[in-house]
Amino acid sequence: MVRVTHRLEAHVLDEGDWIAATEICQLCRLDLGAVRELAELGVVAAREIPPDQWQIPATALPRLRVVGRLMHDLGVNVSGAALALELLEARRELERRIRTLERLASDH
Amino acid sequence: MEFRDYYKVLGVERAAGADQIKTAYRRLARKYHPDVSKEPNAEARFKEMQEAYEVLKDPQKRAAYDQLGADWKAGEQFRPPPDWGSGFEFSGGAARPGGARRGAGRAGRSRAGAAEDGAFHEQDFSDFFSSLFGGGTPFATAGRGAGRDHHARVGIDLEEAYRGTTRTLELRRPEVKPDGSVQLRTHTVRVTIPAGVAEGQLIRLAGQGEPATGAGQAGDLYLEVHIQPHRLFQLEGRDVTLTFPVAPWEAALGASVTVPTLGGTVEMHIPAGAQSGQKLRLRGRGLPGQPAGDQYVQLKVVLPPANSPQAKALYEEMRSKLNFDPRANLSG
Repeated sequence: MVRVTHRLEAHVLDEGDWIAATEICQLCRLDLGAVRELAELGVVAAREIPPDQWQIPATALPRLRVVGRLMHDLGVNVSGAALALELLEARRELERRIRTLERLASDH
Repeated sequence: MEFRDYYKVLGVERAAGADQIKTAYRRLARKYHPDVSKEPNAEARFKEMQEAYEVLKDPQKRAAYDQLGADWKAGEQFRPPPDWGSGFEFSGGAARPGGARRGAGRAGRSRAGAAEDGAFHEQDFSDFFSSLFGGGTPFATAGRGAGRDHHARVGIDLEEAYRGTTRTLELRRPEVKPDGSVQLRTHTVRVTIPAGVAEGQLIRLAGQGEPATGAGQAGDLYLEVHIQPHRLFQLEGRDVTLTFPVAPWEAALGASVTVPTLGGTVEMHIPAGAQSGQKLRLRGRGLPGQPAGDQYVQLKVVLPPANSPQAKALYEEMRSKLNFDPRANLSG
């Protein structure tokens, strides 16, 4: 096996970065229709670049990947996966708040 | 390698129909899916199930697997028979499509690539699966033409997120040699993760995804940053919260205290009359950014134990001299 080492320039994606919807589809195993439906449901923002390009904020990628996994692995539809995503996020937030309260309540 | 009983993994009979197999997989997937499950070893169980389902849902793979016979037991030492795969339709090239193997974390050296994108990939599967259905067999996956984007996860500490850090990634890709054979080439790359990167933030490495097999462009590699839980600080966005123990007299009378932050210790004033649970803000002491996050110091009043005559006497004195009813709000 050949080994090559080099240093890479990394670009950190933040709120100002948008990714083509087609690229998002491939990364998240979603089709374009599903991404549009998720935008209509308010799960992610989307913007149209005329004539027919769609872009999604890079920050939405982790959420869309969860949706893609839920749809693919559990066989749920777009709205079901969107609902599950929101419930999972709510659960995570509640767990975080419980941990905070437990720290406050625990013996030091 | 050890034999894997795919029927046992999914909990179905060998004679189960396609619908039964699908139902069993869906039922178990709901229980063990890593995104939803709280079960221990959910991810490992889910991978086992995915592997079993990948074989049993495909009539050709299932028929070939069944040909091994029903006498094998899970965990038994196994080697594919010499005529393995004969009689099945040849479906593609011998090499697996690009990418790399799973593994990212705080060790500082990670393998990243196709298997990291959370999707089904044969690279994630066992040696048993690979020996039956991987490269060099009639079931191998055909190479793709386009250079696809890849996704990987990188775990870092909160301190590394605050100061910035570097990670070494090993990206493995097949390359065709002049004689037509395929050689696996490892690219070791060092990636700088800048200070102030937040949980879930993405880093794009242009051209480091799947190589193009034709004249097209190579895909990009997206690294998703995950910040490990910290012993002291809890992270929310760019803000951090510290639970900070104080003595009753510090809360009652006010005090100047030394508080740990990600950037080192700072002096902070606790106002007189502070209560347990109250949050004080240290502006700009969270993760760097535009704007930088804040640090919240949540006070936790800790009572000294009444474990000496002197301590008991002080508590007695408070009881007799202070007109204090902590339950005053409970009465109608």
